[in-house]
Amino acid sequence: MNRIYIVEDDRSIREELAELLRNSGYETDCLTDFSDSAAQILAAKADLILMDINIPNLNGEQLLKEIRKKTDTPVIMVTSRTSETDEVLSMSYGADDYITKPYNPTILLLRISAVLKRSSGAASVQTYSGLQVNDAKGSLSDGSRELTLTKNEMIIFRFMLDRQGSIVTRDELMTALWDNDEFVNDNALTVNISRLRSKLAELGCEDAIETRKKQGYILR
Amino acid sequence: MRFTDHVKDRLWFYLIAALSLGLMLLFLFAYRVSGQLIIFICAIFFLFIIAEEAVGFMRKRRFYSQLRSRLDKLDKKYLIHELVEKPSFFEGELIYDALCEANKSMCENVAEYKRSSADFRDFIEMWVHEIKLPVASLQLMAHNHSDELGEKFQEQLRRIDGYTDQVLYYARSENAEKDYIIKDTALKRTVANVALKNREAVQLCGACIETEGLDLTVMTDGKWLEFILGQFMANSLKYISDGREPVIKVYAEELPDRVLLHFRDNGIGIPAGDLNRVFDKSFTGENGRNYAKSTGMGLYIVKSLCDRLGHSITAESVQGEYTEFTIGFAKNEYYRMENS
Repeated sequence: MNRIYIVEDDRSIREELAELLRNSGYETDCLTDFSDSAAQILAAKADLILMDINIPNLNGEQLLKEIRKKTDTPVIMVTSRTSETDEVLSMSYGADDYITKPYNPTILLLRISAVLKRSSGAASVQTYSGLQVNDAKGSLSDGSRELTLTKNEMIIFRFMLDRQGSIVTRDELMTALWDNDEFVNDNALTVNISRLRSKLAELGCEDAIETRKKQGYILR
Repeated sequence: MRFTDHVKDRLWFYLIAALSLGLMLLFLFAYRVSGQLIIFICAIFFLFIIAEEAVGFMRKRRFYSQLRSRLDKLDKKYLIHELVEKPSFFEGELIYDALCEANKSMCENVAEYKRSSADFRDFIEMWVHEIKLPVASLQLMAHNHSDELGEKFQEQLRRIDGYTDQVLYYARSENAEKDYIIKDTALKRTVANVALKNREAVQLCGACIETEGLDLTVMTDGKWLEFILGQFMANSLKYISDGREPVIKVYAEELPDRVLLHFRDNGIGIPAGDLNRVFDKSFTGENGRNYAKSTGMGLYIVKSLCDRLGHSITAESVQGEYTEFTIGFAKNEYYRMENS
């Protein structure tokens, strides 16, 4: 389980953020004493750091610079400063992503999982109950047969595969699709999922995607 | 300064001179001074007058014609005192000093307004950042306790965020300070960000977004462009035409010297008479009055941001059919070469 360290001075946001991350299956840890931020952040040895720019005693950008000298832990800057200058500065100091407040929680989670995936260097070929998943080709194969998925189906399948066994909401799937320039509507998502289902069934995985009423889907 | 002007200006002096000459002649005749001597005295008198007038005219002409011609050529007229030489005659000195003093006082006055407007802007900027914290907090709360109501709260929070952004960019667009960075920006990513931000609203309207040819990069400030496209998007969703599926089409085309980004919807369109005024401050027009509440600020801010960034912007529309905004980004090969 990945551990995320939250550096945020607004107590309310910090607590809600921690709850959001815990609900999504991350372990969280928060910085509450800002007198010696850098040392505490380093000592926490988290897998990812969510950091605000405006924190007491130290500028977030300087803090980032200091942390970068000692560790490669991915850092996502989360801030209410919306200018391009701040973003460029943060990225040049070694941030992995930059998100402005107020953020859509689903997008934040999407970015976190993308950064974690990138930093862990997960291979693009994965397997799902005996099926080979090839992202580059956008295909599934069981050794003898190979079925090509459309771009949308692949995005949906990939998203569910990364979260195998837990509920994925339609909202999350929609956000993932739109994040990849596929501006589909509600009906199209339903159609894509039923096509994905029948393709999986064709390869021998009947009922791979289970529907949970009013909640979403689970890839078993 | 012409000589006739000078003569006209000196009419009183000539009158007095003529009067004193008359008096003098009267006395000279009364004392029976010889004719030769009278002619001689008159000659000296005229000589003095002419010499005096010529020298006076020359001294003034230099200063006044310089003042006149430089003032005509100057675009910032208040700088005139920097451009004329200090004159050597009394009146001129008086005018020159008055000019300097008036100008200094005006500069102080302007500086004070500049300062107070900068202070105000700083405050707005700070305030916007502050207000975003509770909004972010509420948004997380609404998400964490998600149910029907949570979704509704989120929608309202997005509205609040939209309005605060408008204030922020208005403050930014009105000020002379440079707080943007022009760099290579991928259109695809920018459009996706705008779409993501408005996804719920787009889906609520049942609108469909089509894109084409966005695999281009342009020289702009990404955040500002996102705001601009966000305003177009908000307008498109506001002025939807009944009876057909709303379609928003975003497409780019590359010309030899620039890239054009088109944002087109099939909404109610803009009446022809209103079209060339949509970018005016506080202009609401027919649509603003009839359909939705409009502040008339959105497109005005868009226009001033485009002006600041050096992009061209045009609006095209046929009422009842479509509205299309086009932003033109200049290509700057020199800048690219510098960067690579």
